[in-house]
Amino acid sequence: MPSLKDFEESVKRPTWCPGCGNYAMWRALKHALERLGLDFHEFVVVWGIGCHGNGADFLRCQGFHALHGRSLPVATGIALTNPELKVIVEAGDGDAYGLGLGHFVHSTRRNVDMTLIAHNNQIYGLTTGQVSPTSDHLMKTVSTPSGVLEWPVNPTGLAIAQEATFVARGFAGDIEQLTDLYVAAIEHPGFAVVDVFQPCVTWNKVNTFKWFRERVYKLEEKEGYDPTDREAAFVESLSTFHDLVCTPDECRVPTGVFLRIEGEETYQEGLEQLDGPMWRKAEAPRDVTAVMDEYLT
Amino acid sequence: MAETSAPYSVEEVRIKIGGQAGFGIKASGQMLARAFVSAGLNTFDLTEYPSLIRGGHNVFGVRVGPEPVPSQVEPVDVLVALNQETIDLHLDELGDGAAVIFDPSEAEGPAGARGVPVPLDEFAETAGAKIMRNTVALGAVLALLDFPMEPLEESVRRQFSHKKPEVADGNVEAARAGYEHVREHSPEPVRRLVPVAGAAPQLLIDGNSAVGLGALAAGIGFYAAYPMTPATSLLHFMAAHERDRGVVVKHAEDELAAMNMVVGASFTGTRAMCGTSGGGFALMTEAFGLAGVAESAVVVMVSQRPGPATGLPTWTEQADLRMVIHAAQGEFPRVILAPGDHTQCFEFAWRAFDLADRLQTPVVLMLDNYLSENRASVPVLDTGAVTVDRGDIVTAGHVGEGYLRYRVTDDGVSTRAVPGVRGALQLTNSYDHDEYGFANEDAAMRDAQEEKRMRKLALARGLVPPPLVEGADDASVGLIVWGSTTMPARQALEWLAMEGVPARMLQVTTLEPFPADAVVRFIEGTPRTMVVEGNMTGQLESLIREHCLLEPDDSLRRYDGRPLAPEGILERAKEVASRA
Ligand SMILES: Cc1ncc(C[n+]2csc(CCOP(=O)(O)OP(=O)(O)O)c2C)c(N)n1
Ligand code: SF4
Repeated sequence: MPSLKDFEESVKRPTWCPGCGNYAMWRALKHALERLGLDFHEFVVVWGIGCHGNGADFLRCQGFHALHGRSLPVATGIALTNPELKVIVEAGDGDAYGLGLGHFVHSTRRNVDMTLIAHNNQIYGLTTGQVSPTSDHLMKTVSTPSGVLEWPVNPTGLAIAQEATFVARGFAGDIEQLTDLYVAAIEHPGFAVVDVFQPCVTWNKVNTFKWFRERVYKLEEKEGYDPTDREAAFVESLSTFHDLVCTPDECRVPTGVFLRIEGEETYQEGLEQLDGPMWRKAEAPRDVTAVMDEYLT
Repeated sequence: MAETSAPYSVEEVRIKIGGQAGFGIKASGQMLARAFVSAGLNTFDLTEYPSLIRGGHNVFGVRVGPEPVPSQVEPVDVLVALNQETIDLHLDELGDGAAVIFDPSEAEGPAGARGVPVPLDEFAETAGAKIMRNTVALGAVLALLDFPMEPLEESVRRQFSHKKPEVADGNVEAARAGYEHVREHSPEPVRRLVPVAGAAPQLLIDGNSAVGLGALAAGIGFYAAYPMTPATSLLHFMAAHERDRGVVVKHAEDELAAMNMVVGASFTGTRAMCGTSGGGFALMTEAFGLAGVAESAVVVMVSQRPGPATGLPTWTEQADLRMVIHAAQGEFPRVILAPGDHTQCFEFAWRAFDLADRLQTPVVLMLDNYLSENRASVPVLDTGAVTVDRGDIVTAGHVGEGYLRYRVTDDGVSTRAVPGVRGALQLTNSYDHDEYGFANEDAAMRDAQEEKRMRKLALARGLVPPPLVEGADDASVGLIVWGSTTMPARQALEWLAMEGVPARMLQVTTLEPFPADAVVRFIEGTPRTMVVEGNMTGQLESLIREHCLLEPDDSLRRYDGRPLAPEGILERAKEVASRA
């Protein structure tokens, strides 16, 4: 089985800004893959476009670097045609919750067995610091110099509301927890969402590592928290709606597994015809006589 | 009386059924067409309907005869008017000796033409329910053609085989009532239509179903789409066979998702396809380019309807050719095939998958409402000819050390090892990339990859269906067509021959890469040529100018949402041929 080093073999060295939260997420993914004992031919990683997506050049694997906002449908096409592959999607917040918001919502209600890891830096990194769908209310950016008038998209809340079976949130300041979350998400049969606060040290001067460190807490440490209770999970998800000036006491940011529902049928399980990789259907011409006969007069 | 004229065959009949939308006119008409085909005759049908579920005027036309019927024609011999509006709208289409079937309790009958009153409602109610009035009319039609009832009875029973037996019995009774009534009260036949005994069995099939059969035969494993007329019925076809033939079919959240899913499915080595109309294809455009740079083997059906925007959803046009040729930013190879009839729909569909796999680039099948939705009788499809050529692909085992997904090769095609194969490490990439697939902005690498991809066009030239020439060798006039216009043009060609005007036709089957040499040969070898197509700006004609640096002599274009009429083509071709 490949080890940490193998995932880095003959790939480029990361080019993210020094201190960027993407480094921790990159490490956590490699740790998780190693811990899961997945061989190279057993999983696929799909990236969207953004700083996070540049990670496609930094990981040795069977990879697909898709379009901005469209990593989920590409991954869905992969997952629905080869049940033998683990499918992991890496997306940005603009990617997954802006252009790709529709795909995100539909993926959650679809419960396709695959994992979404969202690099949520609450800003557009690659395109130099514009507002993102998860930027805080009134945040000033180059495209919103007077402050964002919209309220942020609530990804965990949306996923929980929309029948997701696994919803978690991580923070790039905690690689150990991130690794655990990735492993749990990839092992989860069904659509698993891991929204990760990934500070962008270059463009987001508000939601910094320090900002999060002062506010994060682990859900599992919260007394009586039951991750199989969708309503309780939804209430927790509402805590994301902080505003720019809230103090550490006022806005606490939960991390960990919000929701985990076991035993729900995955989309793939509902597809009787998905009895193996679908390329097998094209090993020879298919007999269509019976279908053609329906048109015979 | 119909204004147009042509050497119409006296052995064939043109029937039109008109009434309010939502009353099963198309289903009844198809039942009638099936009766004719099962009796050894040939049919071509044309449905016209508004973009409504109920209300509005619906028309089903069927042309039937003992010889092959390549397209619809204008005059009507038997008009079934399920309401007065039908008479008002179609009276001027009646040919010599035509008759109009109508219910005297609902319509007044045609002024100046033969009316055949039949109490449709009354007979239907006696047979069981008012909804059977169309069936009463079908019986009346057969009586006017002196045609036996058995094929229709069989067709009715087949149509209702999944319902309670009373439904079929009632409909058969309704048809007989109409038949007997006309025999008794209006016995003079409009024309005698004779079954052809011992004719080889034929299919009665629409273009989309023929495409679907081709895709199934080719081993399709994934189909994704978002409903859009006139591509929708292909989604229904695929979905109906998802389990019995083993296809994953996804009605996606939108066309962007559909196309991206298909690219993902192709990545796993699955034969994958999506289908849409122009509006949906506009949404797919970015991912279509992704398929180009990622070198994905995908097949897309674009069935056109008049645009721009929502346009005329249920009508026809051939105005998206330029869009498909130029869709997506940047330059990459693509293949565009346009079947010209129902048989070609099947053949080009399965060939599209071989082409996509051989070339590892997107292949588009261009149809339009006219071909997608209308049925014709065709000989049983040649399923024995179907091949599955997956090209340079590795789907199992080990691909060996040092695998490079985008290795620069002489013909532009690199080995495609799909995930799951040991050693298939790669980055299939939307960024331009190096041979492994890592993003790469080096100028020389960009040239190498861009040129590698484009070399596939040269390979494509030897693989794609060549243009087809039909008609006289010593032609005085040549028609140049693409796609569905082949059908009325083929009819015009027959008529031209009958009128002593030697003519021939070039059907450009592959629009990209454009077969310039063959088109030049055709134009230079024909005294006069004219381009016939269903758009306003002459999109095929502009391609001829661009690629052949030649100017056809004339053109005939239609863009009112209706298919080109063979009569119009005949008239113009005669005029062009007569020019010195
Ligand atoms: C269709 C399309 N629109 C716009 C862009 C330009 N673009 C690239 S990345 C990006 C946003 C990046 O933000 P995010 O998704 O949050 O990723 P990050 O860079 O922060 O990781 C944009 C707008 C694009 N590539 N494609
Ligand atoms: S711009 Fe922000 S997200 Fe992008 S690499 Fe730099 S710190 Fe990371």
